[in-house]
Amino acid sequence: MVEPIAVQLNGVSKMRKRRVIGPIDLTIPEGYVVAILGHNGSGKSTLLNMLQQIVLPDSGEIIWFGQEKHSGTLPIELRQQIGFVADNSGIEENRMTPQEAADFRSHWYPRWDMKLFKQLITDMDVPSDVKLTKMSKGERRKFEIAAALAARPKLLLLDEPSSGLDPFAWKVMVEQFRDYMEGGDTTILIATHIADEVKRLADYIVLMHRGQVLGMAEKDLVLEQWKEIWYEGDLRPENIPGVVESFQEENGLIRVITTRVSEAQERLELSDHRVLKIRNLELGEVLEYWIAGYAPVQWR
Amino acid sequence: MQDVRIPIQINENSAEPLYHQIENQLRSLIITGQLGEGTHLPSIREFAGALNCSVITVRRVYQDLENEGLLRTKQGTGTFVAQVEAGERENYRLKAAEEAMQAAVQSGKAVGCTEEEMEVLFREALRANYSK
Repeated sequence: MVEPIAVQLNGVSKMRKRRVIGPIDLTIPEGYVVAILGHNGSGKSTLLNMLQQIVLPDSGEIIWFGQEKHSGTLPIELRQQIGFVADNSGIEENRMTPQEAADFRSHWYPRWDMKLFKQLITDMDVPSDVKLTKMSKGERRKFEIAAALAARPKLLLLDEPSSGLDPFAWKVMVEQFRDYMEGGDTTILIATHIADEVKRLADYIVLMHRGQVLGMAEKDLVLEQWKEIWYEGDLRPENIPGVVESFQEENGLIRVITTRVSEAQERLELSDHRVLKIRNLELGEVLEYWIAGYAPVQWR
Repeated sequence: MQDVRIPIQINENSAEPLYHQIENQLRSLIITGQLGEGTHLPSIREFAGALNCSVITVRRVYQDLENEGLLRTKQGTGTFVAQVEAGERENYRLKAAEEAMQAAVQSGKAVGCTEEEMEVLFREALRANYSK
């Protein structure tokens, strides 16, 4: 079965102040939440900005929704299907209340859903009679999320959407994004540093490092591939399958990080070495190993 | 239509892959009748959200169980628990027990137990679990 494609980048690159981003080759299938991860300055925002043509690539091509190539700019009817929640909000709507801004946007987006907008504003507890510029950072962010969803985009680009949100609003936001994905033909790309967001939302992870895309992998496989095993005894770590790093701990205990946990566990048990503990690595630890060159194994 | 909550417990620190854990528990809930015929399962996205896993994993589980005849998917309406015949249920029941037994015997063999030792252990396990 060939999956429809939300967006595809072929050899896309962009010169930025500090480094060159790309060349990026990346295919995002439709209907998934894809988390874009990486250190600050790794190119995540540039990637998202190129996907909605706020920034134009120096070379390479971007194909949206599998459409044939279009010269230069993105046709308006495709553009209207792309939503964006940016790290810093635009100034055009500063003097408007949420409802005025919604009326303004509804002219631009043919699929605008005012009922959904009002419901989201209520659910996320956004004040309705305050000008956007008078709002707190978190309130403004909640408005931006509601407005992005109400436009019913096929492709939603989120640049650290939860920054400034309180935990209650964060929970509502995660639920709203999930609900929005129910239809199956929408796609979310989310740049984030919040491990919990990745865990709760993402289907795939794209890892960026120094302007390059290191790869794209299924989140569940990424998160369960690296395990830490503590064991007792004299078996040398290099004789254990999949070991990428090992540590001699106190009391004769050895701690190893492995990507082949079942085989490693079997090897230890067969040779009578007591396994004291198996722990799943945290997302941050996993990404460090990935960046160091241990790419996750894909589903076979 | 009211969706049921599916009691599945995920152990993150287990060596067993996530998709195995979900699939085995869901299969056992269906075979033991805890999820009766016709039960409407959550949508793939919803279930993935409840389990904090990806839709890819849930889809894989639904597909496997559909291939086994335990689930059926109706276009547009969702995924339901299929009719499990009494005979089938019996087969599944025995198959599950047989697989667990095989795994136990293999573990024993792997640590060097003889056939006689295994037999003694098996009888002890029976006594411990079946006689009051």
